[in-house]
Amino acid sequence: MPLHLLWLLQLSDSALPIGALNHSFGLETLVAEESLSAEGLEAFLRDYLQELAAVEILFCGAAYRLGRTNQDPFPIQPWLDLNVQFSAYKLARESRGASATLGRRLLQLVKGLTEDPILAAATAASRETETDIHHCAAFGLAAAALGIEEQPALLAYGHQSLANLISACQRLLPLGQTQATRLLWELKPLLAELVRRAQENDFDIDDAVCFAPLVEMGSIRHPRLSTRLFIS
Amino acid sequence: MNTSAMTCEPATFNPAQAAPRVHGKLRLRFEARGECRRTILAESEQHSPLRIVRAFQLDDGGSLVHLHNLSGGVLGGDHLDLTVQVGAHAMAQVTSTGATRIYSSRNHAELAQQTLHVMVEDNGIVEYLPDQLIPFGGSRYCQETRFELGANAGLFWWETVAPGREARNEVFAYDLLQLKTRISALGQPIAVENMRIEPAMQSMCSLARLSSYQYFSTFYICRTGVESSRWLELETLLGTLAEQLSQPSRTVWGISSLRKHGVVVRALSVSGRELTERLPDFWRVAKLFLYDREIVLPRKVY
Repeated sequence: MPLHLLWLLQLSDSALPIGALNHSFGLETLVAEESLSAEGLEAFLRDYLQELAAVEILFCGAAYRLGRTNQDPFPIQPWLDLNVQFSAYKLARESRGASATLGRRLLQLVKGLTEDPILAAATAASRETETDIHHCAAFGLAAAALGIEEQPALLAYGHQSLANLISACQRLLPLGQTQATRLLWELKPLLAELVRRAQENDFDIDDAVCFAPLVEMGSIRHPRLSTRLFIS
Repeated sequence: MNTSAMTCEPATFNPAQAAPRVHGKLRLRFEARGECRRTILAESEQHSPLRIVRAFQLDDGGSLVHLHNLSGGVLGGDHLDLTVQVGAHAMAQVTSTGATRIYSSRNHAELAQQTLHVMVEDNGIVEYLPDQLIPFGGSRYCQETRFELGANAGLFWWETVAPGREARNEVFAYDLLQLKTRISALGQPIAVENMRIEPAMQSMCSLARLSSYQYFSTFYICRTGVESSRWLELETLLGTLAEQLSQPSRTVWGISSLRKHGVVVRALSVSGRELTERLPDFWRVAKLFLYDREIVLPRKVY
């Protein structure tokens, strides 16, 4: 349905008013302390995607599948468990908080636009149980509720995450618009590969492996930077 | 979704080729006894190569044991299971007698596996403070660690991972190192990690991974039931220490509150010794903050 594509474009647009552009997820610290430069950015982003984005895509897919289970009522407990598990994965407080803020805003926004009962139930349950709802999970669930197909939804989630990171880098590094556009272009095949692998693994979140200690350290140390452009 | 079982089978793992060489087991149970609640080692089941010699009484009423691996290290194909139960109001301290050496696999399919399962019942405390983990060149090792904390239960657990035998210039020469960790409090996960490191497949010097650092440490400090605002206070307190000790490009320390019930201390360094020497500083500050007690350094040669 043409509307599905239009909805997906809007949900993954950086102009969506959820605040995605206010976060660097630790990159600001890496620029300040660890010499992340425009020259080394593509290699860095490749590793970032393979470690961190791959985990988010898994959780996004798991949330999507929950939204498409056709169970009535919507399986609230697995939804909350999924988000608790993601919170436990995100050890850095700022990144965890950023992901939860974006997730809550996205879910509320889409619920307000569509009045979808699944999104209403998911939002109410997270509020009642004080459970953080993460961006990747909210995106997956919202896409499922809107009837968007699985693969485009996951690709769009990964793409908007990458685009937002590159946008953050443009504000932190001497990175021109043409270079940024080329980066986003060159990294698309890797994103597609990560989505393919996640689908192949049936979004088994116990399979989520990640070794990106310096990015995490960047996020952990971010609150103590003397000058900050970003919330995280 | 199965969140209780943790499996560790890399993509290339072939069970037929990996029948355990030895299956070591160690199960320990600590209990608090008497009016003054001194902790004793109430039960111990030991199967080689894992051994403890005896439990030492600590001045603060706790009980200390040293873990020995009679093989001198973990060999390819070994399967070692450690279970530690800390009863209500008991206080157990567990350390090792030296670094955990992960030897090269004779056959590249041989995976060495170690599981550690620690249960801390209500009002109990465990301090699990091993020496460094050193994966030798050609080794394949998978470690699964689970902590389950009851009400008002405490945990102090650190782990430092070396890049290999640095003195022999054997750095990141291991084949596989997988570290799976799950810490739960009152039945809910508060920290989950699943690191899979294959230096031949991943660039360790990437800015996303270790850059110029070679050693990494993690120190979990938890006490079930403590309010989030208190953890933020502790994060600030330990964060000040972290700033004093950090020197980017040499050693960086960072502190973060967990989603509930704890904080994590992370460190990256070019020097393993520096991490080993400084971890007790964080332990000291946190123990005073959470329990108003001084730490008791494990009795051993430093």
